[in-house]
Amino acid sequence: MRAIWGLARLDLALWLRSPGAIAASLLPALGMGVLVAVLTNSVGQQPVALVVQGQGRFTERMARLIKGDGDAYLLSEMSAGDAEQALGEQRVAAIISIPENFEGAVTNGNGIVDLYLNNVDIDLSDDIRRSVTRSVAEFDAPQLGLLGELHGVAAGENLPNAYRISVREQDLRETNVTFLQYQVIPILILVIVSSGLLGTALLTARDFSRQTAKVMILSPASRLSLVLGRLLGGTLITLALVTPLVAFGFLTKNIPYCADDASPPLWLKLILSGPCGWILPVPSASHALALIALLAAVTLGTVGLGILIGMWIRDEKLVTMTGLNMAVYLFFLGGGFTTVAFLPDWIQRLSNFMPTKYAIDGLRQALFYPDLIGVGRDLMVLGSCAILSVALATFALMRRWR
Amino acid sequence: MKLSHNLQVFRAAMKMEWAQLCANRAFVILSALAAISLIVMVSLFGLTGSYAPVAVINQDHGPFSRRILEAMDHAYHSFALKFPPPETAEAELMSGRLVGILTIPNDFTAKIEHGETANLDMRVDNLNVDLTNDVQRALPAAIVANGRNFPGVRVQMEEHDVWPHDTSYISYLVVSGLALDAMLIAGILGALITAREWENQTLKMLRMTPASFAAMLLGRLVVAASAAAFALMVALLVIVQIYNVVPASLSSVLLALSLCVIIFVCLGACLGVLLKRTLTVVPLMFGLVMPFYVASGALEPARFDGEVIWRLAHLSPVYYAVGLLEWAFHGLHVTPEPIYMDLLILLALALGSILLALNRLSRGRVR
Repeated sequence: MRAIWGLARLDLALWLRSPGAIAASLLPALGMGVLVAVLTNSVGQQPVALVVQGQGRFTERMARLIKGDGDAYLLSEMSAGDAEQALGEQRVAAIISIPENFEGAVTNGNGIVDLYLNNVDIDLSDDIRRSVTRSVAEFDAPQLGLLGELHGVAAGENLPNAYRISVREQDLRETNVTFLQYQVIPILILVIVSSGLLGTALLTARDFSRQTAKVMILSPASRLSLVLGRLLGGTLITLALVTPLVAFGFLTKNIPYCADDASPPLWLKLILSGPCGWILPVPSASHALALIALLAAVTLGTVGLGILIGMWIRDEKLVTMTGLNMAVYLFFLGGGFTTVAFLPDWIQRLSNFMPTKYAIDGLRQALFYPDLIGVGRDLMVLGSCAILSVALATFALMRRWR
Repeated sequence: MKLSHNLQVFRAAMKMEWAQLCANRAFVILSALAAISLIVMVSLFGLTGSYAPVAVINQDHGPFSRRILEAMDHAYHSFALKFPPPETAEAELMSGRLVGILTIPNDFTAKIEHGETANLDMRVDNLNVDLTNDVQRALPAAIVANGRNFPGVRVQMEEHDVWPHDTSYISYLVVSGLALDAMLIAGILGALITAREWENQTLKMLRMTPASFAAMLLGRLVVAASAAAFALMVALLVIVQIYNVVPASLSSVLLALSLCVIIFVCLGACLGVLLKRTLTVVPLMFGLVMPFYVASGALEPARFDGEVIWRLAHLSPVYYAVGLLEWAFHGLHVTPEPIYMDLLILLALALGSILLALNRLSRGRVR
């Protein structure tokens, strides 16, 4: 037992004194965290200029409807000239213009709202098109606005509108999870994969490249103790990184600028990046247990895989490159950046072989959903992967150190 | 005499670097693999940026239910409509494989034909706010398209586009992905050249040689740039052949890409001099590429993300590279600065990097 603990402590100390290894483990994941924070700010709302050229009650009503849709636009009211300049300088992505003759045109039933759109790509363009269409539709059918969809009509009731169709939306969940919260789970998994896999792989490769493995073999400790020590060391390295991050995630709401109702400036949000948006919900006891079990299974699985890679490649530079490549695949194909269920079938099938998919699904279920449906399956897959990788790593390392 | 001597040094440096690259084949191959992987992986994001999967339970089957479904199909790339049995739809919604279930009631067509208002029931999985927003905005768009000629509709939207045609999201993403690749591969290969001098402790010997440092460094950078250019050509081939993204002007694309490679190799050499360790440079590049990618106008022009992000984006060379490549590939202007300005800034960065690298390498040189 002392030998196991001794080697684990040695590995942890070695790793803590290797800024390169720490950088390799943390930088890609932190980079991804910043990316998600940036992405959160760029999705949903687009900068749009509103030009109101006419006067009168219809014009005012149209302008009020557009201004009221704060979820869709970052709106600035401008003169026509200023708006054109802003569009040219890319300060706004579109101009919504209510023309001078709007009053008369509406009275005649042919009012037009002009949209001048920088249609640089369809993602951005379609977001604006959808939003402006909804605002325009609200003029003749108020229930087609967001509030109308959510709270408009009770079951069995009908409010007439010019388009003759209304929508009754029922949300599946009581609370909405922010995009940042939703995306922070894969980042957490990326930290575990990067640190568990790369940390252990680099330590193992170093033993071979610097021949320190021979010294360890000559020690009186048994082979099994050495192998278990390495596994424990890799696990401690991962926990040393992940535990403070998870704890911080649960505590962020108590930190100024990170609370739910705080509205920090964008630059501060960006500096705080991932942590600012973590604000993880505190789970119930059963969900917390599931969370711990999932995290433990992923950690063990990656540590075992790290030993195998380190033994196989034995070169620190190549181990870093291979580990980072693997982390990229595991992250993206596991649904790190996207919702796998919405991807083409062949990618979904491929994703089924990625343990990270089960880890991300399981953690999201345990943190954001009221029940634990599917967590048993996720745990079984991750547990099997962990057992397999640890067993293979133990077997291979014991053979190599014989 | 001096020029021919420098040329000799340049050629010798090229040969030496070639030998080094051959000895590190696996590393170079893994760098190239990382480049293609990143393009493929970021394009996955593009695949889920639109077409939210929605199940339709159609209890009506009249002409107006067909019309509204057609309108949804054409509602700004918003919906991927599926028609599973109700139980399957329910199970898929609960397991997160659908964004929502739309139910068209059996009296839908009859009500509309009688001038009444029919209700559509939409159950939405509002776990992901971004997708929920898309669905909430797209459904009214489909309803408007369906009913724009009905009496009583007094206002319509008229669109005037800046660009003659829309660029698909994936076409946009993979091109900016090339800038990311250039940074990653050329940057890493450039950094390896200089960091290696410290790692192998050959810098002292280098400082004792009478040969020109500039010729030595340039010779080696040319080989690194060629290797990076080869990897990027493979990525370009993938983009053209597999993603079917055809460049507006192939010569402009090749020129822009070559310039990006040269610039990022120089920046990499500078980074290698500053960090002195490959093991630090490689993860730093991997860590920087994704935030640089997103904050540099890779998903949409950076200024649309706000003035602060736009100003910060100017610190990233990827911002200028994305501007250059999107213009070369699609003829788009994604930076408010003119293209020649993007190019000039990139060239200035490259020159500054090379001078800094040379300065650090030759510091304490024996003359």
